[in-house]
Amino acid sequence: MRRLRSVIPALIPLLVVTAAAELAVRYGFVKSYLVPAPSSVLRAMIESRAELFGALLTTSVSALVGFLLSTVAGIAIAVFLSSSRAIQRAFYPYAVFFQTVPIIAIAPLLVIWFGYGTRTVVASAFVVSIFPVIANTLSGILSTEPALRDLFRLYGASTLVTLFKLRFPAALPQILTGLRVASGLAVIGAIVGEFIGGQGLGSVVDVARTQQRVDKVFAAVLLASVLGLALFGLINLVSYITLRRWHASEQ
Amino acid sequence: MHRRSFLRIAPAIALLANCGKSPGKIRLALNWKPDPQFGGFYAAPYQAHGLDVEILPGGAGTPTIQMVGAGSAEFGVVSADELVVARSQGNDVVALYAVFQNNPQGIMVHASRKLASLADLFKAGGTVALQRGLPYARLLEKKYGFDKVKIVPSPGGDISAFLADKNFAQQCFIMSEPLTAKHRGADVQVFPVSDAGYNPYTTVLVTSGSFLRKDPDRAKAMVAAVREGWRAYLDDPKPTNQRMNQLNPSMAPEVFAGVADAQKPFIETDETRRNGLGSMTEERWQTLIVQLKELGDIQQAPAADDCYRAL
Repeated sequence: MRRLRSVIPALIPLLVVTAAAELAVRYGFVKSYLVPAPSSVLRAMIESRAELFGALLTTSVSALVGFLLSTVAGIAIAVFLSSSRAIQRAFYPYAVFFQTVPIIAIAPLLVIWFGYGTRTVVASAFVVSIFPVIANTLSGILSTEPALRDLFRLYGASTLVTLFKLRFPAALPQILTGLRVASGLAVIGAIVGEFIGGQGLGSVVDVARTQQRVDKVFAAVLLASVLGLALFGLINLVSYITLRRWHASEQ
Repeated sequence: MHRRSFLRIAPAIALLANCGKSPGKIRLALNWKPDPQFGGFYAAPYQAHGLDVEILPGGAGTPTIQMVGAGSAEFGVVSADELVVARSQGNDVVALYAVFQNNPQGIMVHASRKLASLADLFKAGGTVALQRGLPYARLLEKKYGFDKVKIVPSPGGDISAFLADKNFAQQCFIMSEPLTAKHRGADVQVFPVSDAGYNPYTTVLVTSGSFLRKDPDRAKAMVAAVREGWRAYLDDPKPTNQRMNQLNPSMAPEVFAGVADAQKPFIETDETRRNGLGSMTEERWQTLIVQLKELGDIQQAPAADDCYRAL
């Protein structure tokens, strides 16, 4: 019940905006070829449900694989970077490259490297989502409390033990923040990859746009955001399970 | 203090407000970057017709026809099938001048595959880069079937995938990408989409119904200027090409010249010699409307004589 009540505040803006859009189109304030009525978006979703949900599934798999890859690789890179100042100075600037790479510009190259289809889409999701994982994990690992670090040293703990028993758990809240940002980016990256590499929601958006089917474009975008929300929720769940016993953010 | 500073900027605000709706300013929204397919629009003597025209170049996915319908551009350049689809959805846009009398779209393949026709290509397999949302893509699918080929998204004007793979075919403008490919050493063969029976007008100057009612004189002046522009560009594309090349340096000057030459037969036909450059017929619009209805691109068929206006 308390859960249900906590959802209500989020539903109010949704209802207000939806109703306003519906009325604005119905009474001719906004042309339906510019902004589709929510009812026509719903109709498009029902009419093309097989196509749309098939596409959603394809995009979900690619986004998820890209996201998992950037989670694993991002954390590994951050641990590597945290091992010494010199390594950090040498390699961190190149990690920043991932954040600034204009994915839309290199996407055609991804197609040539990885071929049309899933591999290109996964690569695109990976490239745009890895940086927040690296940056947040690194900053988490580096901000371990000095007193605790000294304590571990005092008891003669090895570097590995310190990493897994102290630095890593202490960095978890920040790592999870990085993952939250990365999850949304992975969905965007997957869809951009699909514009160029074909298949999934990206391809549906591309085709619907060419056909001037604004309602179908919105239906596909809506499903993409549902996917983003689902990933976000998944990370919040992980965060709740791992942090509730000791971190203020989940208490 | 506050009031005085407001007074000082008030004239500037008034000026800005005026500049938005000054009667002289006309915006022409293109659906691609400046290149020879728009040559006549860049060559047109707008000022001599009392018009102050600003050309807005576009890119992949620029919603040109929606812009015209919504009034964020007074004129636009789209293709006839887009216009029919837009009209069937209640976007009141009207064609005024059809630059390309015949559909310049085609599928280019490597000549080494020795294919004889479009039917051959779709039987032979390999990859075909095609924008699936386009009506002709569905027409090809209906006619030849896509089960033997792999359909991938069109890379726009980029031909690197084509150059890298002998079994790669891609949609193109007959007078554009094939020239670039030849320029880069490929042996190219092109099948026009009109071979499959799909031949809408393309690169069509359109305006909104409301502009046409409000300001028929300037619409008329626009068409006259554009027609003169195309006449001039057909006769001597060189000065305009130079100007467009400055705006779009990614295209080589010799490609500009080659395309301008290759597109001539699409623009000046026996029909335009009789009826004038850019002219359109109701019959052609009707054929297109019937095709789009059959393909399922439109639910309601707009009237053919609402689609265009001879000014």
